Amino acid sequence: MSAQEPQYLATHLREALAADPRTAEMGVRVRVHGDDVYLSGEVACAERRERILQVARELVPDRRVHDELSIAHVGGRPEEERLS
Amino acid sequence: MIRIAAVGDVHLDEEMSGQYRAQLGTLADDADVLLLAGDLTKHGTASEGRVVAEEFRDVGVPVIAVLGNHDYHSDEADKITELMRAEGITVLEGEGVTLDCPGGRLGVAGTKGFGGGFAGKAAPEFGEPELKEFVRHGRDLAARYATALTGLDADVRVGLTHYSPVKDTLAGEPPEIYLMLGSYLLAEALDDAGAALGIHGHAHAGVECGMTPGGVRVRNVALPVLRRTYGLYSLEVPGED
Ligand SMILES: [Fe+2]
Ligand SMILES: [Fe+2]
Repeated sequence: MSAQEPQYLATHLREALAADPRTAEMGVRVRVHGDDVYLSGEVACAERRERILQVARELVPDRRVHDELSIAHVGGRPEEERLS
Repeated sequence: MIRIAAVGDVHLDEEMSGQYRAQLGTLADDADVLLLAGDLTKHGTASEGRVVAEEFRDVGVPVIAVLGNHDYHSDEADKITELMRAEGITVLEGEGVTLDCPGGRLGVAGTKGFGGGFAGKAAPEFGEPELKEFVRHGRDLAARYATALTGLDADVRVGLTHYSPVKDTLAGEPPEIYLMLGSYLLAEALDDAGAALGIHGHAHAGVECGMTPGGVRVRNVALPVLRRTYGLYSLEVPGED
């Protein structure tokens, strides 16, 4: 992935993470500052987070990939909403 | 009252097997039915479909689902549907189903739905065949959905889609992609049928609550939006005090 402009690289990387069958993650935000690439957003579990970082590092081996991802927490008994 | 639990975009795959199911312990106490608003798998493979079928079998209440765009990704949507049905899950596409709940008779019609956009900003069926095909797919699904909703013989009608019927619940998504996120035709169907509630998913970055132009409540139950196991909505049955 050799886009010169940071915003193109960020978009290409975001699309590659969505299209790569190992990740297929649509919710990853990508920011590029010089040689640094920042990934943020929520993913389902720790394995997935690792895989996204691994795939991103493979896609941009010449840049530093920073992990700002978080793991979504789902749980607790839901509150009822009365629609009347 | 009829109590509806609903969630979408659980995006299950093999390694997530059992995780979501583990949260469903109080479902049968909370709700009369569980609605699944599509994007049940990550890549739409039959193997992920098997995980979905296992995850939502025998959860203590009837489960009614539509599929989402991800569930079509590997061209195995028919197989996924078959696997889910084999576990007793109702999968709707342009059809309706009714359920006798303790509070009354609930009718649910469902479709994946499609993009196409919203009033004033909708894509016209004009120009290149590819664009016309896109618009036509959305129209066809919405038309069948409308017929199924109106045909429901029930005390309360609920519409279930993957794509959004309204813009309200897309707040937070970039406006440039609204065209890909839903269609006003799905809202028109809810309004024409006098539905009590429209449930959808797909808009991971959107918000939960919205309303159709005709005043039907819309809830975006995409898991990343809900941030809880399912949304829980209780509906008044007309004539009940
Ligand atoms: Fe989704
Ligand atoms: Fe989707």
